[in-house]
Amino acid sequence: MTTLLSNLLMAVRGIGSNWLRTLLTMLGVLIGVASVIVLLAIGTGSSQSIENSIQSLGSNTLTVFSGGSSASSSGTQIRNTNLNSASVSLISNPNNAPDVLSVSPVISTSVTATNGASSTTTSVIGSTPSYLVASNYTVSAGRSISHADVVNHAQVIDIGASVASSLFATGSDPLGQQVELGSARFTVVGLLASKGSSGLTNADAVAIAPYTAVQDQLTGESQSFSELLIQGKSASTLTLAQSEVESILAAQNDTTVADLPFTVLNQASLLSTATSSSKTFTALLGWVAAVSLLVGAIGVMNIMLVTVTERTREIGIRKAIGARKSVVLTQFLIESTVISFLGGVLGAVTGIVISHFTIAGVKPVLASYSIPLALGVALTVGIVAGLYPAYRAASLRPIEALRYE
Amino acid sequence: MTSSSVITTDLLHNDQAAIRLDAMPIIALSNIVKSYQMGGIEVLATRGVSLTVAKGEFVAIMGASGSGKSTLMNVIGCLDFPTSGHYRLDGVNIRSLDDRALSRIRNKKIGFVFQGFNLIPRMSALQNVELPMAYTGLKPQERRERAIAALRLVGLGDRLQHFSNELSGGQQQRVSVARAISTNPALILADEPTGNLDSKSSNELMALFTELHAHGRTIVMITHEPDIAGYASRVVELRDGMIIRDNLQNTNVAAPPRAGQSENIPLNRADSEH
Repeated sequence: MTTLLSNLLMAVRGIGSNWLRTLLTMLGVLIGVASVIVLLAIGTGSSQSIENSIQSLGSNTLTVFSGGSSASSSGTQIRNTNLNSASVSLISNPNNAPDVLSVSPVISTSVTATNGASSTTTSVIGSTPSYLVASNYTVSAGRSISHADVVNHAQVIDIGASVASSLFATGSDPLGQQVELGSARFTVVGLLASKGSSGLTNADAVAIAPYTAVQDQLTGESQSFSELLIQGKSASTLTLAQSEVESILAAQNDTTVADLPFTVLNQASLLSTATSSSKTFTALLGWVAAVSLLVGAIGVMNIMLVTVTERTREIGIRKAIGARKSVVLTQFLIESTVISFLGGVLGAVTGIVISHFTIAGVKPVLASYSIPLALGVALTVGIVAGLYPAYRAASLRPIEALRYE
Repeated sequence: MTSSSVITTDLLHNDQAAIRLDAMPIIALSNIVKSYQMGGIEVLATRGVSLTVAKGEFVAIMGASGSGKSTLMNVIGCLDFPTSGHYRLDGVNIRSLDDRALSRIRNKKIGFVFQGFNLIPRMSALQNVELPMAYTGLKPQERRERAIAALRLVGLGDRLQHFSNELSGGQQQRVSVARAISTNPALILADEPTGNLDSKSSNELMALFTELHAHGRTIVMITHEPDIAGYASRVVELRDGMIIRDNLQNTNVAAPPRAGQSENIPLNRADSEH
């Protein structure tokens, strides 16, 4: 125990003897470890933000919109392949689709919303009350649009948090106020709780109105919807719900599921695709960091070789006065391990600090495994990189080492 | 009596048990041959050197460069093996030892004093003297006490914490003498100890050696300077890898070798052959 302690002290003294060089060597390990931690944090952060933005689409939802992947394969027939109220009522029927919870027709458009002197660009979603539930919007004040509103073509809207803050002064109550969407006047009946601007789209720059009113005032009378938002009963039966919806739509349009002129986006499969691609991304970043750690390791080995050469005479003296091979080996091994472990600790601290800043638009999230991983690797690097130089030092013959100038 | 003065006594005197074994020489070299390969040609550095050094002797080994004295010093110091011949150091046959045992022998039986001082830089005088005892495995407390005593003995009691670059050549060499005696070795082996010293420091160092000798230490000193060799009680001269002269002598200073120790040692066979 005392020998280990004195060895450690000896190593620290050796390191201190050429502090600039040691510092630069440590810097190699430091950068390696810090980049492992930061890059893994960026990878984790970006995959979390992708997951969040997919999650914000709603919970257990299918999105159906026009345009099938194989629509042009035959090219012989052009049919009326719109998503219409008939589609909605067919899918809504629990006998046809037992795993579907709700179907919301969606008409979306983008308008300039104006309130007096203030105006902002917002997307307008024309739909039914179930849309708010399926897309995870909650009403923080006032009320949601209702079925009665849909039936009555009522010009009422629920507005998102950023629309509210753009159009209304802070402190004033938007509820009951009239807002101009394009040329039409809509009354604000509800405020939506903020979902945060995770991902690329701002989910709060939105105004939700009954689709009947949107058709009347903004897009014009039409039989078709731009998309259907379908909520499944549970995550596990979402794929089942998807095939039910696909066969209903195929039957309605006299075609097969394979030739369906619609695209059905399954949120669960979207999520798993995104997750697996972001895992690949994280792994790639990890490899880049590992390479820089490897460069650091080569630096440690290089410096230890230089140190051994430089201290050949010292090694000769030590061996002449009775140092065993194992003592010399331990001394140099401890020295390289101390260098890279200190570099590793400083690197971990640096990495943790850097991970608190937003980098390239991504808020890094520290991966819990990255710190012990990076430190363990740094320690291993020290031992492995020190092994050969230490062995060389220990194998020096004292007579030759003493003669070395 | 304080514990430090006990240690000082210990550093000066070899233990009494060893003195009783006067019959057993410290160094017994018989027919040592060392050859090197140089560009495919075999070069003989020593051509059959036989030498016996008894306990308490102060032997100077002289010779010009190329005479084989460095080779002999390496063999005696267990830093190199002879090509043929036998070497017993303090009763131990050196040939039969592995690297680990050899380190132990060097550590316990030999105290080295080198021409270039060979102190470890960035370590204080005290740490340098402690080092061989650390390799022996002595407890830190005992190490420290012995190291301090050894440094006091060589007159450096006020330089304990100085680093080697803060000491003069003479002082550095005295630190290395302190390091050499700290483990209480059977033999002090000095390789051109005055080679890097001015004459004043040289004389001071030789006075120290003479004092150690007077207290019964066995010293073998390699030198090429006749006046330095004059401090020794016996001078062995090498030429072309063989001993050409082996004389007992009266020393330069008033510290004669102890009676009854050296007189009866037969002159080396190599001498008579010459």
